[in-house]
Amino acid sequence: MSAQKDCEFLVKRARELVSDDPCAAKAWLITARTLYPADFNIQYEMYIIERNAERTASAGRLLYDMFINFPDQPIVWREISVITAALRSDSQDKHAQFLRGLFETLPGRVQCEMLLKATEQCFNTLEKAEMLLLLLKRFPESVVQHGVNLGETLLEAEASENVETPVNCFRKLFVCDVLPLVINNMDMRLPASLMQKYMLKAAEFYIGYVTRGPSADVQIQGSQEGGSLKSPTVSRGSQRYVIDGLTEKSSVVAEPWERLLDILAVVGARCEWQGEKGQRSYVDMMQRVKELCRYLPGLEGDTRSRCCSQVVICAALVLFRSAFLYVSSVQPALFQGVNALSSGPWILVEDLSLVYNDVEVERGATKHAHKKRKLADGREKAMSSDEEEGLGKGRGRHILVNKTEMPSWSETLESFRTARESWDLLHSHDGLETEFKKICASWKTDSWLWFRIFLSDMIIYQGQYRKALSSLHQMAAVQQPQPGQQSPSGQGSLEHHRAFIQQASCHYALGEYRMACEKLLDVVGGLMPPTQEPTKSPEDWGRVKTKTRKGNDLRLLPCTSKAVLPFCFQLMLACFKLRTFTDSRDDLSLGHVVVLLQHDWPQGEILFLKAVDKICQQGGFQYENFFNYVTNIDMLEEFAYLRTPEGGRIQLELLPNQGMLIKNPSPALGVELNTLLLQGVQTMDRHHTVTRGITKGVKEDFRLAMERQVSRCGENLFSVLHRFCINEKIMIIQSLP
Amino acid sequence: MGDIRQSLLPRDVLSAAKELLYHLDIYICNLVQSGRQPPQVDSKTQELVEEFILHAPKDRNTPARRMSAIQELQLLEIMCSCFQEQSRDTVRQLMFSALFSLQGNQADESRMALLGKLVSMAIAFGRVPILECAASWLQRTHRVYCVRLAQVLVDDYCSMVPGSGPTLQNIHSASPRFCCQFITAVTTLYDLTTEELTPPLELLQMIVSWIQDDPRLVLINFLNTPLSGNQPISSLDVTPLGGLMRWCVKAPLAYRRDKKQALTNGTTESEPEVGPLFSALHLSVLQVLMLLPNILNEKGLFGRLALLQMECLASLSSDLSRLLDQADKHTHASSADSRVLSQLALERLAQALQVAMANGALLCSREDLRTICSRLPHNNLLQLVLSGPVMYYNNIHTPPLAFSPHAAHSPIASHPTHPAHTPLPTHPSSHPQYPTQPFMTGMPFPFRPSH
Repeated sequence: MSAQKDCEFLVKRARELVSDDPCAAKAWLITARTLYPADFNIQYEMYIIERNAERTASAGRLLYDMFINFPDQPIVWREISVITAALRSDSQDKHAQFLRGLFETLPGRVQCEMLLKATEQCFNTLEKAEMLLLLLKRFPESVVQHGVNLGETLLEAEASENVETPVNCFRKLFVCDVLPLVINNMDMRLPASLMQKYMLKAAEFYIGYVTRGPSADVQIQGSQEGGSLKSPTVSRGSQRYVIDGLTEKSSVVAEPWERLLDILAVVGARCEWQGEKGQRSYVDMMQRVKELCRYLPGLEGDTRSRCCSQVVICAALVLFRSAFLYVSSVQPALFQGVNALSSGPWILVEDLSLVYNDVEVERGATKHAHKKRKLADGREKAMSSDEEEGLGKGRGRHILVNKTEMPSWSETLESFRTARESWDLLHSHDGLETEFKKICASWKTDSWLWFRIFLSDMIIYQGQYRKALSSLHQMAAVQQPQPGQQSPSGQGSLEHHRAFIQQASCHYALGEYRMACEKLLDVVGGLMPPTQEPTKSPEDWGRVKTKTRKGNDLRLLPCTSKAVLPFCFQLMLACFKLRTFTDSRDDLSLGHVVVLLQHDWPQGEILFLKAVDKICQQGGFQYENFFNYVTNIDMLEEFAYLRTPEGGRIQLELLPNQGMLIKNPSPALGVELNTLLLQGVQTMDRHHTVTRGITKGVKEDFRLAMERQVSRCGENLFSVLHRFCINEKIMIIQSLP
Repeated sequence: MGDIRQSLLPRDVLSAAKELLYHLDIYICNLVQSGRQPPQVDSKTQELVEEFILHAPKDRNTPARRMSAIQELQLLEIMCSCFQEQSRDTVRQLMFSALFSLQGNQADESRMALLGKLVSMAIAFGRVPILECAASWLQRTHRVYCVRLAQVLVDDYCSMVPGSGPTLQNIHSASPRFCCQFITAVTTLYDLTTEELTPPLELLQMIVSWIQDDPRLVLINFLNTPLSGNQPISSLDVTPLGGLMRWCVKAPLAYRRDKKQALTNGTTESEPEVGPLFSALHLSVLQVLMLLPNILNEKGLFGRLALLQMECLASLSSDLSRLLDQADKHTHASSADSRVLSQLALERLAQALQVAMANGALLCSREDLRTICSRLPHNNLLQLVLSGPVMYYNNIHTPPLAFSPHAAHSPIASHPTHPAHTPLPTHPSSHPQYPTQPFMTGMPFPFRPSH
């Protein structure tokens, strides 16, 4: 009998017995081991019995024996890799928990050896890193030896695997797991440059993580474990996010901005930054950076460069965080995890709610209006950038926002302000700017749509509209090739229009009215008019602070057709207004103004009366679209009156294809109309033809048109004006310079 | 002390006994204080104890004074509290000796009777000091008397009062030493030769659970005894290992006999199967044996002290061979079932021999084993154990190991922790202090907390 046969016989007997009489099976194996202590299969069989019964302590003891006695057995390694896999996984199933418990029973030294050896046997970088990380977490003393190497390995892997985003599994492991261990280990001395490099790697990751777009589809990593299949029903509402290569659980990074701040605090302390003690918020940090900035010019050499790094890194973090907070409330659908349904996108545009003010008031008020007057005078002139500089540079521009529609308005505006401040700070010295640009270049911030949105808004705020326009064009370019970015809320098209609306607003601010209207009318063409009449709720902010407001305020406009349409009407009105009320006669513009003044009536009453004055002065008015788009009863009444002798027998040519001005209109018409008004609305089904007897017929046609128009005054004004925008688009654009 | 006899005589039995106990206490305290070596109670005092506490007849003329049952109970209570209150171990032990050490005279019968009642009472009330004294008594006394004491306790707790088992169960935590000695005594008493000498099921269950809970219990007496070599030859074994081994090996055949009798008697007892109990007990025995090398090495006794005597195993082997013969005769057509049981008995013997030998509990050569097992029928495992492992180990799974030239001749050749040879270069050299896992649940790593 050979030894091998003996062993086989002994193990076989134990296997036969194990189900019916486990004690007997164990007795056989104990005997077998005293006979053949060097036989692996006997010990493995012992281990299997204990493992299958999930007896943690004894299985752990046997695993230990095998690890010590048979370090070269592939089966042992297979077993160890199963256990280390359980350690790395976040599975809660019983067996995985048992395996983790089993590992815990092993002496620390053996755990350490096991993990190291398991790491050596691992060829997958990620697994290897995870394994080593288990080691580092358990045995802090091993950080000195392996910490930086592991970090560098991960960064190299990231570089060599050509990952698309800094939010990848390697970086996640590096930033969230390895880096804290490394920088918090006081036994290690890292050069400041390396610390800063790591700091920036962390910042890039956390910013990338926070600003990640919503995933197009829920990714379920079916291969991970069966347990995850249960969860989609639970978490259907919230979007799930999985970093490729990681489990869903380990893809979650809690409180990223706070973590980033933690790392910054440690790095700052270790790089001997000024006053980096105990500052626990971004606000504190900004304050510190502002102070430092004042000393910066006086510093030299190392102190200066250290201070420079500190200012740039801190200010950049404040900038990106504030910009993110601003954009997340202005365009929430861009980001995963930000509740996109609570509030739609908002557009920063010129505030035009003063458009109904009297022209004279406006002319005297501001530079802006002054400029408009220049243009209104007909001296069309491309503005130089120098002139543009002066436009909105006044720092205290107000941003108006409907506070009930945006409850977080104050935080939003505060974030916007902080972001602008830190941007300015980063551009206040050449040294800072160079450093900051390096960071931007390495992070490719040019491709960050959300940051581009902030930048555009900032430039608009600064009144640099020409620059803003080019920024918006870039944005449109970034936005286009990302079909996956479609918002789930169905606002996709409107969000897409956001840039156009902003462009229109910029063109308007530059006095480029034709471009402004063209852009805006393109957008409006795609909108559905709201079915509800615009209600004049108390939240209508138009009149609230009229007195204190200047003409160069901005407004955050909700990106809904309900808000965009009125803005469009205001913008068109603003474009035509100054042109209209000049000494020269421009009936078409005047007509458009009258049509547009209907909106938000009687806000525009003063202007309307001014228009009526002008018509009276001219003694006539030709606007063939009148009956298509004017349904305001006050206006109709006024025009009807103008034809009467009392009204001055104004020659009104308001019907299509009316060849000549009508003289001697019937004096009775005004009376008639009044009667009609009293009678209320009647359906009139009469057709008129253009081949009638001219004088009499025209008179009759005007009367009939008026009658019919009165019946239309119940029509949805939004629809009427929307139709106006669509049908008359070409004419409107062409009539503008 | 002899002079107090006159003052005791007029008293009634109980107060005389009380008075004597009182004086005995003082006397022994003085004895210990005087530092006389060895502290021994003189014969006069012994006589007083026999006369006034054990009530042995002093001579043929004087009739023995007798106590009523109530008085006896009162005396036992007094003794109980007397031992309980005595804070000095030496005094208590001497007192216990003075009362219960066998003198080889007529009084011994009364002594045994009173002792049985006292220990039984101590178990009931959890009087640890008395149990400790009784443990020492069991260590010193001839095994015949030890077995008698055990018999009394088993009768009291397992036979007379049903349901009082749990009380006995507690001795395991109250006094492990006593518990260990009790197990030794019980395994000596019940040798499974007849139905009367088969342990009651309740007792068996209790012993199995004790040892499963704490296998070291079996060794506790051995661990606590300084092996001076003055162990009386006729006393109980130091450990119950031999007795337990006998139980496990003989059980498959002994219980088969019982079953057969039960069937012929027509009684259909719905007793739980004892098979699993013995299987667990057998495993525990092997596990305890696996603990030995460390303990023996620590004491410097490895290879020098045999916890199991060859004679004991030789008699077990011959018992087994006789039982197997009987079994063959009784079952004319030896059924498959009975063959399995016979093989089980042989396998258990083989396992016990092998593991005991490998762990230094049994000091003999394979040749010796072949001699004592020569009459046994064939069994594969026994054959393997008797011939020993194939030395030129050539397993495909592991590299060949270098054996020292004398390894094959060593009686414990195959044990890895034996210092004489190192079959596993990595294991014993790097971790000589760690035993191999004996399949014991909850057994901690000895090195974890301390290192």
